[in-house]
Amino acid sequence: MSGHRVDAKVVMLGKESVGKTSLVERFVHHRFLVGPYQNTIGAAFVARQVQVGDKVVTLGIWDTAGSERYEAMSRIYYRGAKAAIVCYDLTDSSSFLRVKFWVKELQNCEEHCKIYLCGTKNDLVENDRSMRQVDYHDVQDFADEIKAQLFETSSKTGSNVDELFQKVAEDFNNTAFQIITGEKGVDLGQKKNDYFYSCCHH
Amino acid sequence: MRLFTIFAECNSSYVFSKFARCQCRESQLKLFKSAEDHFLVEIVKREMSQKSERRGIHVDQSELLCKKGCGYYGNAAWQGLCSKCWREEYQRARQKQIQEDWALAEKLQREEEAAYASIQGAQSHSQAQPSLAPFSKFEEKKTNEKTRKVTTVKKFFSPSSRTAPKKESHEGKTPSPSISRQSSIETDRVSRDFVDFLKNLQKPGREIHKQCRLFIEGMANKKDLGADELSECVQDFYQNMSDRLMTHFKGSTERVERVMDQVEKYIMTRLYKNVFCPETTDDEKKDLATQHRIRALHWVNIQMLCVPVDEEIPEVADNVVKAITDIIEMDSKRVPRDKLACITRCSKHIFNAIKITKNEPASADDFLPTLIYIVLKANPPRLQSNIQYITRFCNPSRLMTGEDGYYFTNLCCAVAFIEKLDAQSLNLSVEDFERYMSGQASPRRQEAEAPWPPAGPCGGGGTGTSPCLTQVYQNLDLLAGLGARQERVLEGARTLESDLINWQESVEREVQEILEKFPLEIRPPASASAIDSDNVENDRLPPPLQPQVFAG
Repeated sequence: MSGHRVDAKVVMLGKESVGKTSLVERFVHHRFLVGPYQNTIGAAFVARQVQVGDKVVTLGIWDTAGSERYEAMSRIYYRGAKAAIVCYDLTDSSSFLRVKFWVKELQNCEEHCKIYLCGTKNDLVENDRSMRQVDYHDVQDFADEIKAQLFETSSKTGSNVDELFQKVAEDFNNTAFQIITGEKGVDLGQKKNDYFYSCCHH
Repeated sequence: MRLFTIFAECNSSYVFSKFARCQCRESQLKLFKSAEDHFLVEIVKREMSQKSERRGIHVDQSELLCKKGCGYYGNAAWQGLCSKCWREEYQRARQKQIQEDWALAEKLQREEEAAYASIQGAQSHSQAQPSLAPFSKFEEKKTNEKTRKVTTVKKFFSPSSRTAPKKESHEGKTPSPSISRQSSIETDRVSRDFVDFLKNLQKPGREIHKQCRLFIEGMANKKDLGADELSECVQDFYQNMSDRLMTHFKGSTERVERVMDQVEKYIMTRLYKNVFCPETTDDEKKDLATQHRIRALHWVNIQMLCVPVDEEIPEVADNVVKAITDIIEMDSKRVPRDKLACITRCSKHIFNAIKITKNEPASADDFLPTLIYIVLKANPPRLQSNIQYITRFCNPSRLMTGEDGYYFTNLCCAVAFIEKLDAQSLNLSVEDFERYMSGQASPRRQEAEAPWPPAGPCGGGGTGTSPCLTQVYQNLDLLAGLGARQERVLEGARTLESDLINWQESVEREVQEILEKFPLEIRPPASASAIDSDNVENDRLPPPLQPQVFAG
């Protein structure tokens, strides 16, 4: 896992038990369905390659602790992230309130980080409409407002999971391509500044 | 409470010994460095004198020559002696050990140059001639070195050098010989590995080596810079180096990274002394603050942090201990990447512990609290310095992406959490938190009156009792068991003793009886002719044939 060269850092944000880990596991498991899965001892960090056109993008997916007690530290996690998948539970309206907190944080601290909203546990809602506590259109409006993409996924059935990560990889590939064709020298310098002095200097 | 103090004491003494070792190592490095400087000065001096001769500038030779009249050039810095004579003088005043360090430093330098001379020689014949001489010398030296190394290694293990207080009392500032030797061997080994590695790269290898040496020399002059400027220098160097390698390897990131890992290892091993916890920063103060903070939080337990780890399972407890060892070990490494590797190993053990307890792969919601718990339990030495050092001097491609980076970020989070930890983050009331912090009460006592309320949604492995209390009970049980077993052993020993006495007596008795029954009689030896005398079955034999006279 550590042997992979990671191109893009993707952070998973979201309240406890909204299913961040399941989402990541679904994504990884699906790709590994044929092969063995035993060498993964934890789902906290996963590096996975995604095919984008004729290129391969490696996503390094960082799981984060969602508990409110670690809220103050979340900033350390998403430093340098290229994408953030902010998860909420479709059956839990309180989880969506927390989404707004992270989105605000991300907009303040990591302006280059693309935001993806992800409503989880879609299978529960599909089975029983009354379970839905977060309205799709409300979230879509919010997503438009913050220029984010919205996905409703189910880790149980796997619906929309691959699409989400595929989109993340494609967007990263596009932006990375733009930078490279743009100004090469500046890119390296920027990378340096972003990378070096960021950690633990708060 | 007692148990905790004992633990804290053990912990701090461990930390202290680690710290002391590092101190020694650093002072030793100073020696090493001075030896290196000395060698450089010598080279520069020789080169200069050669140049001046070639250009025909004449200075009175006698003024420059060594006062001892050995024919070499002297130097005012060495009281007008040449390096050799001065060293001889100096040697008497100094310990033998220091001289050995010098020799080693010189040898190292020569070895590196010789290694490069050999590459050079292989590549161009015109340059081969001058490089041959030092190389053969180096070979000679190498064998010398080998034999000496064997003896020093022996010395290191022999009890006399370990306990020898005479040398340390001789000169307080000098580190104990065994430690200095060990450390310089380490630097030595790293340099040799680096040279060996670069040999495979042929020409660019030489260039890389040259750049690294120049950089290290340049850094030696920048001691007064602040930590951030030093970091910037190193990071710029990494950036330039990897850019150049990128062009050379035509974009093969894998190969570039492999070289960069070696470059980092070489450079940071050499620079460690100057840039780890430098005096220009308040890293040391922060280290102490964190250490005190963690010590003050000794009462925090698994339930408060919602750690999903059940230490009653032996395998889990084993992983916890390994994780603690790894995080403490981080301080002993010099290369940022090695430090990161310690954090990663620690994290893997944590994941194992969670996996065994919960029977499913751990998520970050499980991992971070456990890491915090491990840091609290381990109280790793110089934690802040280490984090700062890694942040400043690690190759950024490692730090911000990949697994190592993830675990390092988690460690940063854990430390930040511990610094900001308050009543709310432990689900405690402010009063309780204050009482625990001031040491007026401890959570265990309260629990003795009423069972601990399981905090929040943490399912954990909480059995309702404090892990310390159960530990105490376990230990008591163990002690009782040991006592009983000792009793049994003693009893067995007593039986064995009486058995032995009885046996001895019985043997004596038997011998006596036999002696009485068969008194010793020395019989005259039977006649030699009576071959059949003691044949038992004699009487069963038919009577011997008698000669008979037959008529006839």
